[in-house]
Amino acid sequence: MDNKTIYEKLKQKFQDAIGALKEPPAGSHGDPFIEVSAEKIHSILKFLKEEPELLFDNLLCISGVDYPDRLEVVYHFHSYTHLHKVVLKALLTDKTKPEIDTVSDLWKGANWLEREIYDLFGITFKNHPDLRRILLPDDWEGYPLRKDYKHQDYWHGIKVGM
Amino acid sequence: MKAYFLNLYRGFRSIIKGMILTLIVAFRPKATIQYPFVKRELPARTRGRLFCNIDDCIGCKLCAVACPVDCIYITANKRGPEEAIPLTSAESGAKQKKFHLPQFDIDFTLCCWCGLCTVVCPTNCLYMTKEYEFSVGNQQDLIWQFGEGQKPGPKQSIK
Amino acid sequence: MGALKTQELTINMGPQHPSTHGVLRIELVTDGEICVKAIPHIGYLHRCFEKHAENIDYMGVMPFVDRMDYVASMNNDIAYAMAVEKLLGVEIPKRAEYIRVIMAELNRIASHLLAVGTYGLDIGTFTPFMWAFRDREKILDIFEMASGARLLYNYLWIGGVWMDLTPGIEEKIKEFCDYFSPCIDELDTILSYNQIFINRTKNVGVIPLETAISYGLTGPNLRGSGKKWDLRKNEPYGIYPELEFDIPIGTGEMGTVGACWDRYMVRIREMRESLKLTKQALKQMPEGPIRAKMQRVRPLAGEAYVKIENPRGELGFYIVSDGSIKPYRVKGKSPCFTSISCLDEICQGAMIADVVAVIGSLDIVLGEVDR
Repeated sequence: MDNKTIYEKLKQKFQDAIGALKEPPAGSHGDPFIEVSAEKIHSILKFLKEEPELLFDNLLCISGVDYPDRLEVVYHFHSYTHLHKVVLKALLTDKTKPEIDTVSDLWKGANWLEREIYDLFGITFKNHPDLRRILLPDDWEGYPLRKDYKHQDYWHGIKVGM
Repeated sequence: MKAYFLNLYRGFRSIIKGMILTLIVAFRPKATIQYPFVKRELPARTRGRLFCNIDDCIGCKLCAVACPVDCIYITANKRGPEEAIPLTSAESGAKQKKFHLPQFDIDFTLCCWCGLCTVVCPTNCLYMTKEYEFSVGNQQDLIWQFGEGQKPGPKQSIK
Repeated sequence: MGALKTQELTINMGPQHPSTHGVLRIELVTDGEICVKAIPHIGYLHRCFEKHAENIDYMGVMPFVDRMDYVASMNNDIAYAMAVEKLLGVEIPKRAEYIRVIMAELNRIASHLLAVGTYGLDIGTFTPFMWAFRDREKILDIFEMASGARLLYNYLWIGGVWMDLTPGIEEKIKEFCDYFSPCIDELDTILSYNQIFINRTKNVGVIPLETAISYGLTGPNLRGSGKKWDLRKNEPYGIYPELEFDIPIGTGEMGTVGACWDRYMVRIREMRESLKLTKQALKQMPEGPIRAKMQRVRPLAGEAYVKIENPRGELGFYIVSDGSIKPYRVKGKSPCFTSISCLDEICQGAMIADVVAVIGSLDIVLGEVDR
């Protein structure tokens, strides 16, 4: 199934919660993606996983991206059964307290990927079973992959940075 | 009971098989060399310590830009209008040396031996030697100077 | 005499533990000799790869990519280079594709040799480790001839490869292929079919297929559970469709499907396939240019996700470009990160000594887990 059919199927089911299907600009060679509402992300992804025609059983990657006006959570899916792929983007406009539902109950692998995003971007995943920092120390300040990040000067008396 | 003894038998059999193989391998030529006394011959492309032939350097700073870890420090001062502009050597393309180069330092504590700086050099004056034994007693000794009028080697530590 | 009071004991394994293959700390909650919980704590080797990548130009990211999975640098480089090439829309020359495949497959053998050798060491046999490293050394010599470095090559560049193959290296690779086939048989005799080794690894750390897919396991760990899935075959990239090879999977020959022994055996069998691939690629390699003609690496705004088959699974790179000379965001989705995340589930109810066997069979490289 190509991206367009998947998009129409999603649009039919969730209507307003699905944004536009963004094709890469002319001359660019990137991937197309579908913008979805962050509020309904859990039910959308549940539908993606369980609908027999879609059956996205393989979660490839969840990544966070920081833009000047918003944070994005990007989901890459693949299906072992139907061999199709889709890219979903949830936009979080509130940068001070970004929140999104967890999908770790659907794909167990999402657990750590979401923890990594929480660690590096400060996006809170609601209902996550074990939301702790994963790569950085538990008492680290700030979220390093935000573009406006400034590292702290000292951590437990150790100088940070060069 | 039967499975237990079968397991035991298989265990002994695999040990004996392994021992016979080890014995055969023991008589093959050695794969190791006695390192500090015997050294391997290194291939021509070995990426060891960087060396800069400052007589050929034109001070373009392309290497410092290409370096992903920013370990090359260059100071280039433009020559005065009356000064004669020397040329680099013929094999490097006889390019004009428009700058004085009082400082060309490489910090080998940062260098990651990726070789990207040697590729961009227009006169091939920065290249990698085959030297790979870097250990020193003092960290400062790993900052090397190659500037004009300086002896290539560790920069004197400033105290 | 009343019943003795028992309680669970928490012990710390690592970060400086020889069998954790790097700096991994595992918090083991034990009940006697049974492991109730195994909580991995990672991040001891975190080197801020993603933050670094945002501050350097596309070419300069390459040395950092090398350092992610430091035992399979060539494969990492291919993944990153392919992601940028997809954004740029460049086709790379045929010869460069062949060189990439040769290097990637040789590096796959080297990486599997390390995995197999150290796995033997974890289980308690020392000789195969020495033999594996003896043979790995020969591959590193080949890489040193081609690129000049032994571990962190920076040899495969965006748009092709750095330098053409050195004269004489093809004979050396051929020589290695002939030399190495019997070595795998020797490894089989001394380790794979050794009854003590089989007893230590069969029925241990079983990952059922549903669990493996739910966790997103890839590579030998997924194939060990019996799924015939290999990106080189199923979503072919480069010149893999032109080459012939099989995908070995775990069959449950010894005990249960998806046990440690199956994952181990998939690696051994993959080495034979890699040898086959190397020989074919060497035979078919055409002459020609080795790098695509292009200006400075500066893709248009857009984003791409590319995944390739690494020795440890599918390594994906998600690159967002904003049209400048530096990437806006680089995310490396490493296979080891997902492998280690399922450790807790498969270690529950296992013996403490089996935890070591499980970690070894997952074949993690902490450089890639922490990035």
